[in-house]
Amino acid sequence: MPPSPSTSAHSTSSLPPCPVAPDALVGIKRQQTNTSRWRGAGWREFVLSLKDVEVIEDAPTRGTFATDAGGTAYGMPHGVVIARSAAQISALLKAAQAHRVPVTVRGGGLTTQGESIAFGGVLLDMTGMSRVISVDKDRLTARTEAGIFWASLAEHLRRQGMDYLSAPLNLTSSVGGTLGVGGIDVNSARFGCSADQAVALQVVTPTGEIVECSDEVNPELFRRVILGYGQFGVITEATLRIRRYTPIRMRYYYYSSLRTAIEDLQMLDRVEAADYAGILTMMDAAINLLVAFDSGEREAAFDAKWHSRLRGMGETAFAARTFLSYLIRPWRWGEALFLRARKRQLFPEFSRLEHMRDGRMEDRSVVFSRAVWKFWGGRQMVIPDLATSSAKFAETVERGNAVCKQFFPRYTLYCVGIRLREEHRPHYEMSCIPPDAADWAYGCEFEPMIGDDTWSRDHLQSFQNAIYDIGVEMGASYYRFGGMMKGYIRRVFGDELVDRHLAMKCAADPAMILNRDVIF
Amino acid sequence: MRLTPHGRAKALQHGAVAADLRASIASCTLCGACEPACPEEIPLVDMILALRRSQPLPCESAEVTTQAAAAAENVLLPGEALRQDSERLKRIASLLDIAVAADDGSDISRAIECGAALASSRVSIFISSFKSAKRLVVADGLLLRKLREWLPETRVVSLGEALSTLDAVRARLRATDLYVIEPRAFHADHARLVRHYDGLIKARNLKTNLDLQRFAVPTCASSAAKSVDPLDQARWILEGRAFERVVVEDAADCAVFARVTDRQVLHLGDL
Repeated sequence: MPPSPSTSAHSTSSLPPCPVAPDALVGIKRQQTNTSRWRGAGWREFVLSLKDVEVIEDAPTRGTFATDAGGTAYGMPHGVVIARSAAQISALLKAAQAHRVPVTVRGGGLTTQGESIAFGGVLLDMTGMSRVISVDKDRLTARTEAGIFWASLAEHLRRQGMDYLSAPLNLTSSVGGTLGVGGIDVNSARFGCSADQAVALQVVTPTGEIVECSDEVNPELFRRVILGYGQFGVITEATLRIRRYTPIRMRYYYYSSLRTAIEDLQMLDRVEAADYAGILTMMDAAINLLVAFDSGEREAAFDAKWHSRLRGMGETAFAARTFLSYLIRPWRWGEALFLRARKRQLFPEFSRLEHMRDGRMEDRSVVFSRAVWKFWGGRQMVIPDLATSSAKFAETVERGNAVCKQFFPRYTLYCVGIRLREEHRPHYEMSCIPPDAADWAYGCEFEPMIGDDTWSRDHLQSFQNAIYDIGVEMGASYYRFGGMMKGYIRRVFGDELVDRHLAMKCAADPAMILNRDVIF
Repeated sequence: MRLTPHGRAKALQHGAVAADLRASIASCTLCGACEPACPEEIPLVDMILALRRSQPLPCESAEVTTQAAAAAENVLLPGEALRQDSERLKRIASLLDIAVAADDGSDISRAIECGAALASSRVSIFISSFKSAKRLVVADGLLLRKLREWLPETRVVSLGEALSTLDAVRARLRATDLYVIEPRAFHADHARLVRHYDGLIKARNLKTNLDLQRFAVPTCASSAAKSVDPLDQARWILEGRAFERVVVEDAADCAVFARVTDRQVLHLGDL
C-alpha cells in the first residue's frame, strides 16, 4: 500500500527539495531545455521559391550546426544557407515571411542557451560574410561584414597599426552576434560594451529591406538592433570605432575577499586609474584583480596615486597567507592542492614569451581567449551571469558565489565594469544593461569548471535558475537571457516593457520568423 | 560543407562518410595550424590523412632515387623543390656541413598527402637507409612529421630550424626582412618552435608570416590541395607590411613571392 501524502511529506522533511522535480524551480514553471521544433509546414514550397539562394539540406551539413558552445541544447535546421550578401539575405527573409519559415542567424555559435541553434527552419550561417571592407585611420573607424570573427578583424587592423576598442575574450565570436547582445572586455569599464562601438550598421530587416542605420539615420531601427538579440534584423555590415594599437602592461593583485576586490575594482573604474581592469577568481579562495595599462605614463601615474590604495596583495604575500590559512584546515587541503596546480598551469599562459615583448603583452585578445578556452572551456558550458548597478554588485556576486558553492566544487567568477553612454540609453532598453545602472553597470559570470565531468542537464539548469533567481530579487539584468532562459524575461523586465517590445517585434516581423524563441 | 576541422567533425558525428566530405577533405592544405589551436588536442592532421586515404587526391608520382644512402650521421632530405635547384642545395649542404640523401622520400610524402596507396616495403627501405643517422634535416614539413613517428630515436629537425640556428645565417637577417616560416614543420612542433622563432624575431627584429595567434600563414605552394591560390596567400602575407627582402624557408615559396612583389626574394640558404 503506498504511503499517504502526509506520511510521505513527514518522512522526507529533512531532505532538501529535489532540484529536478517539476515543481522544484521556485517561482517559475519547469524550464524546458529545448525549444519546440518547427515542424516544416510549407518547407518544400519555400525552398523552391528561393531561386537564387542555395539551401543546403544534407544531414551532415545541418548537423554541423546542431549545438552551440554551451553543448546542452540540440536542434537541427531543415536547411542551411551560407550568407553571401545583403541581397541574398533579403531574398531569403522575404521568402521566409511569405512561407512563415523560421530563420535562425548564427555567427560563431558561441551562445550557451541555444540562441544560435535552429530548431527547424533555416540556419543562416553568417561566417560567409567576413570581409573587412575599409579601414579609416583618420576617422578611427572600420567597416566590416558582420560575420567576421573579432580575431580576424584584429588581424586586418593590426596590419595597419590599429586595433578594435573592445571585444569578447573569444577568438571565434562574430562581430554581428556580439553587437546584438553586448560583448564585454577587460576594458569595457573605459570603452563600454562592444555593442557601443558600433557607429552605423547595414541591416536586413525581418521583412527583407536592406537599411543603413545609425544614431542619425533610422535611429529607431539602430536602437532596436543594437543589443536586440537578433529580433529586429540581420546585421550584415558594421562600422565600428577603432583605435591605435598598443601593447599592454599587466599587473595582478590578490584578494581573499570578494567584496574588497570588487570595491577596489569599482574605485579604479571611478577614477579611471587603469586602462583595463577585471576580476578573475578561483572559487572565492583566490581572487585576482587584473589591472593593465596602455602606456608607461599611465602605469607611472597609477603607481604614484592609486597603487597604495589597493588592498590586494602581491603574489608572494598572498601565497604565504593562503598557505597558512590552509595549514590549519586540513579538511581543505584538497582545495589547496587544486589551487596550487591550477595556478601553475594557468599563470604561464598569461606570460607566454611569444606574446610578450619588453615586459608588455602584445596580443591580449589572443592570450586571454586561449586561456579561457584551455582552462574554462569544455564540451558543456553553462555561464549564467548577472549585471547590476554599481551599488548592488558586491551583494549580487556574494550571493551568486554562495550558489556556485552549493552546486559545484570548482568554479570561476569573472567580473568587469561596463561604462554606459548616456546617449545610448535607448539602446539599453530590455538588454543586458540593468535599467537602474548609471555611469557604470557591472557584470559577473558564474562559471562552473565542468571540464570532462558529467553533470545532468537538470543540475546545470537548476544552477542557472538559482543564479537568475538572485537577479530577479536584486533587480538585475542578464547577458544570456535568451533561448533556454527566456522564461525569465518577463520576470526581469516586467510585462509592460516586454509587451511593448513584442508589439514592435510583431510589427517588424509579422510572421515572427527571425530568431524565433530566442526572446519571444 | 564548412571546411573547418570543427565543421568536419560535426558532420562526421551526424552521419557523414568520407565521400560526403570529399570537397572539404580535398581542400585541406595540411598546414597543420588547426592542431596547436585545438583545445581538445585532437590529432587533426592524422584525421585528414586517414580521410584522404578513402578519398585520395590525384597523385603524380615524384621521381626519387631509391638507392641506399651512405652511412652518415647528419643527413639532409631536401624535398622536391630544393632538389631541383642543385646550386642552392649544394650551398645549403655546405652551410650545414651535411650529407644529402639521394632518396629523400618525396614520393612517400606525396603519397601520404594525396592518400595514395603506399607499399610498406617502400617505407621500410626508406627508413632503414637512415639507421645510422643521428640527425635528419628535413625540408618537407609533412615528411618530417612522419619521420618523427617512424624514427623516434633520431633527432629530426626542419630545414628552416637548422638554418636559422646557424649564427652565420642569423647574422645576415635584417630588421627589414619579411621572414616566411614553413608552416607544416612549424605547426607539427609548435610549442617548441614558437619559442625558437620568437627568439629569432626578437634578436633580429624580424617581421614574419605569423598571425596574432602565432600560427604561420601558409602560401600552400607545396600543397597538393589546389583549393587555395598561393598568390592570394602571398599577397595576404605581405599586406600592410613594410619590408625590403622576403626570406623564405620553403624553396617552393621563392617563385610565389617573386610573382607578387618586386622586392628581393631569397631562400634562407641564400643568405
